[in-house]
Amino acid sequence: MTSNRLLSAAAALCVGLLMSTVALADSIQPLGTGTFTELKAGFEGKPFVVSLWSVDCLPCRVELELLGELKKQDPEFPLLLISTDVIEKREEAVYILEEYGLETIPSWMFADAFIERLRFSIDPTWHGELPRSYFYAADHSFKAHSGILTEEKLQEFFPH
Amino acid sequence: MLPIRGLDVLTMPMCLMTSKRMKWLFSAGMTVLMTTLLWGADAAAAENCQSLRERSAGQQVISIHCGGAPSATVDADGRLWAAFVQDKHVYVTRSDDNGVTYTTPVRVNSEPEDTEYNGENRPKILVAEDGTVLLSWTTKTSPNFTGEIRFTRSTDAGKTFETPRTMNDDGLMTGHRFDSLFLTASGKLYLTWIDKRDLDASAARGETYPGAAIYYTVSDDLGASFTPNFRVSHNSCECCRIAMAPYGDDEVAILWRQIYDEHIRDHAIAVLGAQGEVSGLTRATVDDWFIDACPHHGPTMVQAEQPGQYHISWFSDGNLHSGIHYGRHDMATGTTENIIQVDGTPGAGHPYLARYDNTLYMVWKGFDGMASQLQLMRSQDDGATWSTPQTLFNTERASDHPLLVTAPQGVFLSWSTEEFGYLFTEISDDKQ
Repeated sequence: MTSNRLLSAAAALCVGLLMSTVALADSIQPLGTGTFTELKAGFEGKPFVVSLWSVDCLPCRVELELLGELKKQDPEFPLLLISTDVIEKREEAVYILEEYGLETIPSWMFADAFIERLRFSIDPTWHGELPRSYFYAADHSFKAHSGILTEEKLQEFFPH
Repeated sequence: MLPIRGLDVLTMPMCLMTSKRMKWLFSAGMTVLMTTLLWGADAAAAENCQSLRERSAGQQVISIHCGGAPSATVDADGRLWAAFVQDKHVYVTRSDDNGVTYTTPVRVNSEPEDTEYNGENRPKILVAEDGTVLLSWTTKTSPNFTGEIRFTRSTDAGKTFETPRTMNDDGLMTGHRFDSLFLTASGKLYLTWIDKRDLDASAARGETYPGAAIYYTVSDDLGASFTPNFRVSHNSCECCRIAMAPYGDDEVAILWRQIYDEHIRDHAIAVLGAQGEVSGLTRATVDDWFIDACPHHGPTMVQAEQPGQYHISWFSDGNLHSGIHYGRHDMATGTTENIIQVDGTPGAGHPYLARYDNTLYMVWKGFDGMASQLQLMRSQDDGATWSTPQTLFNTERASDHPLLVTAPQGVFLSWSTEEFGYLFTEISDDKQ
């Protein structure tokens, strides 16, 4: 995403206006301490990718843009998105996901103010830096990556 | 506890304090139990937002125990002042009994603003010797990382506040965030922040620009007027708080996360002068943290006994240093020495330093998979050796980054927690 695009998006919008106009029709669900285990169970024997992001993370937008393109090309790509923002920021998150055509894919938001425990439920070794992504193989062995995901890195970690 | 005129009507009666204290004792581990018994009523007196709301019978509760990301300072008379955010307003409250009871919060900005409040970005409050109350904060202006640096003050002992002013002078709809405020011994007020004007200018020229920049402004009349904005450095990290400490009587040293070689996010240090002079800009940590991400993890610093030397602590997950580290930086040589790993366990973070009466104090947060621990260690020899870390609090609910406030009467932990409410607790007490 270019800085110009960020600027024009910013200029076109103020937060107050946003809050009153975005509809709640989205695919975001709350993530509690047991949710990630359930999500993994839903992918039993299957590979998948998890991308963690937040509305306050600029590098995450670069990654969301890549993931949006990826889903456009391959709607079946097994991607889970988790926003580490409190679920009260849902409307802001939806606005951003819509920017990248990601509003309809499976998505979760942190639903407990005790974020340390939610982070731990995803990966005890993760320090909270964003973006953070996980590449699960069919046997659910996984690799983790901190920082912007590029197409090359995605291919390296998760050949598709 | 006698009623005191002008104090919050929601101040907790003694009977509730006792029952809450008992509940806390039963639910906490042995370390915390010992701590509580030794520290007496100060910490146990903490109210929490849930209990306030339950007693308010549906009325809105504006309280430091409910507000977001509070910060605190102690004035020359030893009185605690705290600022917090609630419902798009900054509030200021005062406590004359070290945080046991608080005055009714005063609303600072009459017009609501999307004020940022989180671990790394919170309202800052200082009180000058003449009683002027000084405040800065960041107001978000869009969902795309734009914001403005806001400042206001009270010249009538916190009764009323001037209309907030925007301190970034570029007039651009871009990022100006993560403000820090510092008042020198000579009365110069420094306000510094992370700024994206140079990023925008580079983008307009079609050039890449890693990260953001550090800017600042200075007031020599306690916030009545400020200098133009000065740039400290290009290519800072975008999302970590800036640490500040005095440099002589007139200047400040600042420590921030800086981008090196486009992808390494370690730390830089510099001295800022009142006329825009930036000197001694050097790399303060070499951790080799290769990451194109937001760590949301800013450093802390305090002045050492030796002029020009600073105790610093920071978090990194670099190839050379991982976890929370401590070191002593010498501005004269530009080197950081005596580097030790404070806590390398996953989940440990957000250190904060204070120095009082020749003792150094460091607090930080740990996490064991179920609960957060508030950790403390001390050094009596200017950071050469440290005590074994001690767990002061253990909570299985949400909590803010811990801060330390140095007051004339000692060092206090300033920590907002869901379970215990806002804690303001002396840690330099001999009883520990």
